Amino acid sequence: MRRSVLTSISISVVAAAAARAGENAPDPTQVAALELEASLAKRPAIYLLLDPARRALEVRSRGAVLDTIHLRGIELVTQQPLLRRDVPSLPPLPAVWTVSNGPGDWDREVVQPTELRPEPKADEDSGDTTVDQGSPSAPTATPTPARETPTSYRAALSIGWDLWVTESLPPQGRWGLLRAAVRDGLARAEGKARDLPPAITLAMSAEDARRIHHLMRSGMAILVAAAP
Amino acid sequence: MSTEPLPPLAEPGEVRRSRWPALLATLLVAVGVLCGGGAAVLARLGRPYVATPFLSGTLPVAPEIDPLRLVRRAAAAEREIDKVGPKGVYIVVDTYRNRLRLVDRGKAIREAVCSTGTGIVLRDPRNGRQWVFDTPMGERVVERKVAHPVWAKPDWAFIEEGYLPPKDPNERFDNQSLGDYALYIGDGFIIHGTLFKSLLGRRVTHGCIRLGDEDLEFLYRHAPIGTHVYLY
Repeated sequence: MRRSVLTSISISVVAAAAARAGENAPDPTQVAALELEASLAKRPAIYLLLDPARRALEVRSRGAVLDTIHLRGIELVTQQPLLRRDVPSLPPLPAVWTVSNGPGDWDREVVQPTELRPEPKADEDSGDTTVDQGSPSAPTATPTPARETPTSYRAALSIGWDLWVTESLPPQGRWGLLRAAVRDGLARAEGKARDLPPAITLAMSAEDARRIHHLMRSGMAILVAAAP
Repeated sequence: MSTEPLPPLAEPGEVRRSRWPALLATLLVAVGVLCGGGAAVLARLGRPYVATPFLSGTLPVAPEIDPLRLVRRAAAAEREIDKVGPKGVYIVVDTYRNRLRLVDRGKAIREAVCSTGTGIVLRDPRNGRQWVFDTPMGERVVERKVAHPVWAKPDWAFIEEGYLPPKDPNERFDNQSLGDYALYIGDGFIIHGTLFKSLLGRRVTHGCIRLGDEDLEFLYRHAPIGTHVYLY
């Protein structure tokens, strides 16, 4: 397991600053991020580090990198009327965001036997080998088939924003926006669309999106390093 | 009776030509109204996603201007992280890929296919009690190691099969299901062997981590009690 890149950056920054006898200050944002990570590393929990500069999302525990997901893009995405463009102000960074409600919380299959009966003894088993096969008291899956882990989903963050994991960022060209507006307008006319909070959108491969799906559950901390 | 000649009748084509500009103008107005109305509706109702570059925000606190103080702060944070970080031999479990790594001083010395929790919820039909078959996430420690382990089957192991949990505790013991070795990592979670080797690499367990025989023996011999386990 390799050492935290953030830590390494900080060490070099610190060393350089010390060597110059205080001529140049280390980057205060990186020092702040390091301090936030130190507070997260005190707990025996998994946390994520989002590094916009390297386009990487890292799975970490105790300051160590357990896994790295390379991102295709990171954008701040908002729903806005077609003829207006307001850029919502970004929360202060670096910061620790916490997932307040994510797909890892609710996306589960539930099984329940229809009834329970006494377990047959070993000698009884030999007399009737067909008891367990097709028995109505065997665990019964929910009627809906278990669906595949989605590759696009949103997790609510405690700051009131969403974290949107998706395969590709929404189209940003003029015609792409127009098409999206038409689709959204029609969905609203049918009562299907709803307003969503601004989202930090992480675009990644489908496999990576499935890989972190179970990590998006309430309480998961995400350390967001400041972009350069 | 007048004999003056009548004025010549207008040609039919001339009448049509005189009406064309009016028809065209009407058509243009209609199209304009429709388009304008549509655009107005889109502008009001259509709310597409608009992306903006993810740029740094402001600092949460006033920036430190004293470079030496910044150096000290960074060094202190680094020391804190180093103090709690993994050292020596440790285990990493990837529950999505179902892979277990045994790491020694940063270098993987064994990578094994394992099975982890299904994530399914089992409900007791009698009282609604629930069990969530998740492999836990985060850091744990190997608390004890046992050769030839015996499993005391909990209630869910019977309920899952559609059976009532037995009243006699002796009916709960199973000396085959856990394989040759078991590494206990707390709260009833165990790294152990399996009878169902064809299911290795899949999420099929009740939260424990199952390994094949050779990998389990290697882990048992090389991961001492106190080894840290990182699960994600």
